[in-house]
Parts: sequence; structure tokens; C-alpha cells
Amino acid sequence: MAEEVPRRWRDPELLVKALPTVILQTTCFLAPLVMTFLLTFQRSRNFQLQWTWDLWTWTDIFSKPHYWTILLHTVFMAVACVAICLVIAFPVAYGLATRFKAWENEIKVLITFAFITDATLKIYGWALFLDKNGMANYLLGSLGLSPEIVAFLFTDWATLLGMVYSLLAFAIFTLYLSISNIDRSLILAAYDAGAGKLRAHWEVTLPLCKPGIWAGSVLIFLLSVGAFLEPKVLGGGKSPMSAELIRQTFETRVNWPLGAALTLMLMVVSVFIVLLFSRLIGLKRAGLAS
Amino acid sequence: MTAKLEGRVIDFILWGSLAAVLIFFYVPIFTLIAFSFQEGRFLTLPFEGISLRWYGELFRNSNALTALWNSTVIAVVTTLIATAIGTMAAIVAVRYRFKGREAFQLLAGVPLAFPQLLLGIVLLLWFSVLGRIFDFSTGITTAIIGHIVYITPFAMVIVAVQVFNFDATVEDAARDCGASTYEVYRYVTIPLLWPGIFSAAIFAFLLSWGNFYLTYSLAGSTRTLPTFIFSGIAIGSSPLYPAIATVVFIPGILLVILANRLRRS
Repeated sequence: MAEEVPRRWRDPELLVKALPTVILQTTCFLAPLVMTFLLTFQRSRNFQLQWTWDLWTWTDIFSKPHYWTILLHTVFMAVACVAICLVIAFPVAYGLATRFKAWENEIKVLITFAFITDATLKIYGWALFLDKNGMANYLLGSLGLSPEIVAFLFTDWATLLGMVYSLLAFAIFTLYLSISNIDRSLILAAYDAGAGKLRAHWEVTLPLCKPGIWAGSVLIFLLSVGAFLEPKVLGGGKSPMSAELIRQTFETRVNWPLGAALTLMLMVVSVFIVLLFSRLIGLKRAGLAS
Repeated sequence: MTAKLEGRVIDFILWGSLAAVLIFFYVPIFTLIAFSFQEGRFLTLPFEGISLRWYGELFRNSNALTALWNSTVIAVVTTLIATAIGTMAAIVAVRYRFKGREAFQLLAGVPLAFPQLLLGIVLLLWFSVLGRIFDFSTGITTAIIGHIVYITPFAMVIVAVQVFNFDATVEDAARDCGASTYEVYRYVTIPLLWPGIFSAAIFAFLLSWGNFYLTYSLAGSTRTLPTFIFSGIAIGSSPLYPAIATVVFIPGILLVILANRLRRS
């Protein structure tokens, strides 16, 4: 365990190591965010940006329910994605932390590889699998089932499947970390006190990995509101989500101020929902990173 | 007796869900591998025949090879810079106590929880506005900067795990023996952190190599493998793309295995 050394900012040991990160994330993360905010007060005329400094874009956004319908749809899909990820990931993470010791490394390698592989390729693989003439229907057909039983591609369900697929590994790893940090003796104590396996699980294990569940949920929620490939390739672009709308605003309409405002609206609403939930659940602050 | 039965049922549920999740994870991957051996032009079943035809096509396709080269250049540069900055940030975030430490941790880690597409768009706006003032346009350099912003936090988290288990008394011992600050880093700190740094580098490489969102927004007209595939499948499919996928999978799985070995040792 590393001990913490007190340092002052003047100390070169600290300054040299901290400065690259500070410079990188202020010039290439914070500053662009601030500029995005400033851009929302401009206008777009004939595909050109005009520095007008007014509230035209925001008035537009708040007067058109269309944008909000899409946002609501996005948030709804993201919440569904979080819930499904948690339910699927929990038994796997639990097993990984407690029972799969002999195969732990192999399992981790398999999950990590699936997680880290090119997102475009994986989503494309799903599209091929689910296609009308693709793998799924062929396999079902050869089992003697009606060949077009999978009419799944280009629906919201396919989008959701893709989102869960892309983000499930985050849930497995955050839950795994928090379950493996649980002091085993607490669970044994619960058994000694006469609790059955289920009861010990419900009253000891689950509450203790609440921070992990929460961290995973926040991460998956924030990342899934930005889903773009999944609705486009698997959902067929039929029911657009915010990311697609934002992309179109930039690419097709070339309206930077509106695109910037939609981006900020999506982020602010997402963070607001996270804060709201954390209030409801009774956690003071979410540990976003590490 | 009932406890034993209960244990069996739990085992069954856990192993069953693991198997289901692994199958789920590998469905698209094996689909792509299977289709890469399709003889015909169409990505439908049943196969017209099995051949390596599309691998040959791949190595004659100059656009695909250029994309492969661009991906590699971007990934190598990103890996070097992101791992260096991330390692330093990990030492600062875990080992030092200073004013504004929480703010530092938040600033260094927050891009992890930021959707990549939005990060790409925000950076695209930034570079477009700066580009008008300083007269440059988006290309390979802006793509690399975007990748660094996104990947440095990942590198930091991976190295931080190693720093957390680091015994700082070894450093003190070296210092007591008269080692300079540079020597302590060169001969003690870096070698001890090396497994973490190296696996962070592998992850940085893979994250950058397979990155779609940031490249899509920031690379201008430069194509990398992911954006090449994306624009290809938008026009029409051919087994060329599954063949690219299969070629991309091989170094990927080898690097993941290597990273895992390193972290264990």
C-alpha cells in the first residue's frame, strides 16, 4: 500500500507530473466545452456561423417538442440499458470474484478482448448475425423453425441489444471490483448468525457492493446516452436517438450553434438525472473515476 | 443436504450465466470470422463455398492498406503520449497529497464517463474554430489529440492500480543509498511500475487502434480501419470487411493475453 506524501504545487516532483494532465484536459477538454457553450449563443445563416450573441438557438430548442421527444427516448433507452447490464453482469461478476478462481484469468482475457475490440466491427457482426438472411435465421431454420422468426434487426430492441453488448463489460468489471473487495468474514459471520445463503446475499453482499453497482450504473448511463453506432446500424436509423440527431445537425444541416446546444442539453440532462438518482438512493457523491 | 443442493443450484446459475455471457460476447466476433471465408460476394447463408479469396483482395486493396497504416500511426503515437501522461497522473493521483487533489482526480478521470461521440463533436468544434484562426484543418494530428484526451484516463486508471500496491520504502532506501531523483525513477520506480505501465500501453494501443467515434469526427479526410469499415458497410457489404475484422482480431487477442500475463507477474 502506497503511503501518501504531502506536496506543494511548487514542488517540481508534483508540478512536472501533474502539469501535462492539467494542460491536456484544460486545453482539449474544458476549453472546448466552454466554447461549445459559447457557440450556442450564435446563429447559423447559409451554412455559415454568425457571431450574433443572442438566445435564438435556445428559444428554438425550448419551443420544439421534437428535440425533447428524442431526448426522452434516448434517456429511456439508456435506463433500460443500465438495468439489463446490471442484471446480466451481477452473476458473472459474482462468480468471477468468488467461484471461478481456476479460470479467472482466461475468463478475464475473453471478456477484455470482446470489450476492447473495434466497436464498428462488433456492431457490424451483430447486423450480419441478425440479418434476414443472416446467421440467426439460418440456424433457426436448420433447427426446423420458421426461417424468418428473427425479424429483430432495425427495431429498438436491436439497438438495445447493441448498447448492452457494448457496455456490459463496464458493469462486469465495476461489480467484480466491488465484490472482490468485500470482506469474506462478514458473510461468514452472517452464516454463523443463522442466515441462509440467500438472506446473507440479500442483506450483506448486495448492500456492500452498492458503491460498485452505482459507479457502474453511472458510467453505463452516461456512455449510453451517446450511443450512435447501435441505433444507426442495428436500429436502422428509424427511431433516432440524441447522438444521431446531433450528428445530423452538424453534418446535414451544418448548424453548429444548434448542434452545440443539443450536445449540451443532452449532457446537462444526463448529469441532472444522475444527480437526481444519487439523491434518491442516498449517496452523497458519485465516484465517477477510479 | 439442502445446503449442498443450494450450493449446486448457485453454481449452476453462476456458470450458466457466465457461459451465456461469453456466447453473447462472441456471437458477432464468430459471425465475422465465419463470413470472412465466404467464397461469394454476398454476406448471406448458405455459403457458396469456402475460400481465402477475400484475404487476397484485402492485401490488394490500397485503400484498406492505407487505412491500416493510418490506424497504426495514430495508435503508436497515442500510446506513447497517453501512457506517459497517464503514468505521471497516476503517481500524482494516488501517492501525493496536495491542495486540489480531488479536483485533479476529477479533471484527469472525467473523459472516461463522457460519451465519445460527444467528445468528438466538442473537439471538432474546437479545432474548427481554432483552425479558422490559425489556419489549419482537421487531419491525423487532431485525431491523435482526440485519442490522447480520451485514452489518457484509461492509462491512468490501469497504472494507478499498480501504484496503489507500490511499496514506497524501496524508493526511500534507494535515496538513502545516495541515488539522485533521476536514478530513483530510472532504477526503482519505473521498473517496479513497469507491468502496469506496459499493460496500460497495450490497452491504449488497442483502444486507439479500434477507435471509431473520435476518428470519425476528428480525422478529416484521413481514413483509419474503423472509419474505412463504417463507410464501406454504409455503401454495401462484401466479405472484404469480415476479412479485415478477422485480421484485426489476431493482434488484438494476442495483446490482451500479453497484458494479462504482465499484470499477473
